[in-house]
Amino acid sequence: MVRIKSPFLRWLLIGLVVAFSLGTVAFSIYLVRLDRDVRDRFAGVRWVLPAQVYAAPLELYPGARITLAALRHELDRLGYRGGDELIGPGTYVATGSELRIDTRAFAFWDGAQDETRIAVRGDGASLTAIRSMGSDNPIDLLRLDPMLIGSIYPSHSGEDRVLVRIEDVPPLLPATLLQVEDRNFENHVGISPTGILRAFVNNLFHRGKKQGGSTITQQLVRNLFLSNEQNYSRKIREALMSILLERHVGKKEILEAYLNEVWLGQDGGRAIHGFGLASQFYFNKPLNELRPEEIALLVGIAKGPTVYNPRRYGERVKERRDLVLRQMADAKLIRDDELELALARPLGVSNVATGGAERYPAYVDLVRRQLKGLYREDDLNGEGLRIFTTLDPRVQEALEARIVADLPELEKSRKLPADTLQAAGVVTSVEGGEVLAMVGDRNTRFPGFNRALDSKRPIGSLAKPFVYLSALEQPGRYNLQSLLVDENVELKMPNGDLWAPRNYDRQLHGSVPLYTALAKSYNLPTVKLGLDVGVERVHDTIQAAGFQDPPELPSMFLGAIDMAPLDVAQIYSTLAASGYLTPLLAIREVLTKDGQPLSRYSFKLKQTLPEGPVYLTTWAMQKVIEFGTARWAVSVLPAGQRFAGKTGTTDDARDSWFAGFGADRVAVVWVGRDDNKPVGLDGAAGALRVWGRLMRDLHARGLDPTPPASVEEALIDPQSGLRSDEGCAGGLLVPFLVGSVPTEYAACANARQSSPLDWLKDIFR
Amino acid sequence: MNCGFARRLLCAVLGLLVVLMAACAAQQGKHGSSGTEPVIVNPPEALPESPPPTPPTTTPPLVTRPQPPPPGGFPKTLPESGASPAVLALYRQAEDSRAAGKFDKALSQVERALRIEPRNAFLWQSLGDIHLRLQHADQAESAAQKSTSLAHGNPWLDGPNWRLIAAARQARGDSAGAKLATSRADALGSAASASP
Repeated sequence: MVRIKSPFLRWLLIGLVVAFSLGTVAFSIYLVRLDRDVRDRFAGVRWVLPAQVYAAPLELYPGARITLAALRHELDRLGYRGGDELIGPGTYVATGSELRIDTRAFAFWDGAQDETRIAVRGDGASLTAIRSMGSDNPIDLLRLDPMLIGSIYPSHSGEDRVLVRIEDVPPLLPATLLQVEDRNFENHVGISPTGILRAFVNNLFHRGKKQGGSTITQQLVRNLFLSNEQNYSRKIREALMSILLERHVGKKEILEAYLNEVWLGQDGGRAIHGFGLASQFYFNKPLNELRPEEIALLVGIAKGPTVYNPRRYGERVKERRDLVLRQMADAKLIRDDELELALARPLGVSNVATGGAERYPAYVDLVRRQLKGLYREDDLNGEGLRIFTTLDPRVQEALEARIVADLPELEKSRKLPADTLQAAGVVTSVEGGEVLAMVGDRNTRFPGFNRALDSKRPIGSLAKPFVYLSALEQPGRYNLQSLLVDENVELKMPNGDLWAPRNYDRQLHGSVPLYTALAKSYNLPTVKLGLDVGVERVHDTIQAAGFQDPPELPSMFLGAIDMAPLDVAQIYSTLAASGYLTPLLAIREVLTKDGQPLSRYSFKLKQTLPEGPVYLTTWAMQKVIEFGTARWAVSVLPAGQRFAGKTGTTDDARDSWFAGFGADRVAVVWVGRDDNKPVGLDGAAGALRVWGRLMRDLHARGLDPTPPASVEEALIDPQSGLRSDEGCAGGLLVPFLVGSVPTEYAACANARQSSPLDWLKDIFR
Repeated sequence: MNCGFARRLLCAVLGLLVVLMAACAAQQGKHGSSGTEPVIVNPPEALPESPPPTPPTTTPPLVTRPQPPPPGGFPKTLPESGASPAVLALYRQAEDSRAAGKFDKALSQVERALRIEPRNAFLWQSLGDIHLRLQHADQAESAAQKSTSLAHGNPWLDGPNWRLIAAARQARGDSAGAKLATSRADALGSAASASP
């Protein structure tokens, strides 16, 4: 035993021992905590699988209304590659007369569809024939794989990922990755001492030119847990966490996590994490369709996606890619002839970033909200559900294009400064109530305030059809020809105020037929009609159409009801579907991540409004376009086809609405300002312009003119509103509920003479 | 004019009356608008001098009126309805699924067909039938109603639709309603067998 004589030295030694012990204890506690932290956070990250959201698949069949050019456009959007020959799934060849497609296999709700090689022919409007390329057998129908439109993480929105399993990744990707980033991956313990030493020495002598010596594990830890600052304490923490992670998790899992986590680019506010998403983001196709040079590019830019942004620094990225390709050839991952081919190819990065939740933010927002009503948040969070929606990418594209093109034009026409106006739009299918497209902002990719769902504005005259429908349900009192008196109305409101509505044109029009009052959107006859029918009945009609609890006030007749565009689409859908209410849905099917069916949302319908009166109301709404406030639409809609709709304008033209439908599409458009200032556009001058051209672009079908069984048509003399026949000129065929056709003939009618005759004949028979 | 022997005199008097009134009407007819188009483009906004139409004094019950069959008669089956090969293929798949007891799958296949031909009354009937087997009585009845709405009086559809409605009501425990629907179906059934 050595005796230390100096008390100073003795205390120093004791102090050191105590300090060392305390340090060891503290370090141990730190390590234990870090260990728990690493485990928890890794488990948390690893098992959060996003819900993947798909658009509706494009159905191909003879008669499908899509031209070959439009089909080719859709294939391009799905990331199919055009070329001279079919070289695997996701490729196509366009010849002069046909489109040959090698479709991707896809597991649909009702079963898997295999990869198929088909040849499609078409004419100027639709597909004419589809045959199988091997056998020349005709094909009745087939679905293309649906477009992936986003991923949903309800807990932290803005995240987006296309998760991949290591088994599904083309083997060349991990092989290349390890070759370039971490050759000793399979053997090290999480850090590579030689690598760190090399980097340390290098950084010491070449200041400013940093060299990384990080293993894949370290890079993963950095991506998952740590900020991007560069200092030694962070480096040490990173090394410790890497060693700890390797103790708990196998190499395969670490590599898989890396493939899904590594940051590979930035798309505005959206970080591109993982190779699955990066493949969509840069090449617009799934990972397993990537060619060697595309894999080399992705692996290459992992070093620094800002410095190596392929859309900005093409030259630099090509150098980097070619370097990776040569390393691949050196390691015998690709053959020399493959290397030569790959080096000769351009980067092939798609010009526009596609896919992802931000592509259709308003629509994905709707899907997210509907899911929240159907599932617990936890289930959504972690289960990797596959959500099949009703979004029709073609309809969505048409709606977006219209709003983007028409708003500047409307601003110009009213001499408003650019970007003053805002807009929202919804398109649904008539039967089935499927939401096909939605836009919530004129900047269609902006994931902010979703006006289609959240901008609740007074609907103005869009409410009128429901007042007229309530009246037409009483055939003993009203029919389309009933004359309404257009005169001033004054009403005392419950709060004592006097309400004195005016017509939009500030004029009085005497007596007008009921359908004309709706077509020309006269306010005063509408208010009188509503009062006569009763606030309660109109309230019930709107509720039956699918809007809960409209206010029970006479001002409701003129649209003092706040609704979002989607609410309007709901109530107009019920009119369009002949009185059958179908709750609007954006979700068709939900599958588990393994492709097992979890739930299906089938067409749900219930007749809530009587078919005959709805038919009459729709007939009057056709007059809105034929000669009423929406006459302009005749100039853009296909000739000879009938559409029904209604303009809506609120006080001082703050909101410009149009809602309308044909046989297969309901569309609602709102144009206004976020600050609720007047825009100087009524429904006809604003929203109608977007709506009319939209219906034209969608090739919407006109209404079926066949009346239902509860309706009969009679020739009416528009002058008198009485029955007409060959004796009268300019008769109008007007529908009536069976048994309510006017019995009296107009003075001009031949039958006017024959009716007393028939009566006499009957007596003598 | 089909005048009997005993009424010949009266007929002569009435005939004279007709001529007189026609002349009178021709005079008045000149006040009407001059086009022959059935659709008026710009009706007068105010009609102060025209008398109001006389509304019927009683509200007649709304009955399903037999509609004239289209030229060539009503289609009896989906293939006769002019359905496209794609719809027929889906319908066959749905029939197979139904025969195999896979009603959910059958439902999705009929819905897929309905997206292609949303106004095909045969498809709506098939949808209602599958809903019934899935014990969705409300949906079965609604789909059958929809089918009837779109059938435009086709007795080949209306009869089975009322039977479907009867079965749905029975499944819901609404015996009276079911009875009513059955009697409608029976009436239509005889009409269907009578039509060519």
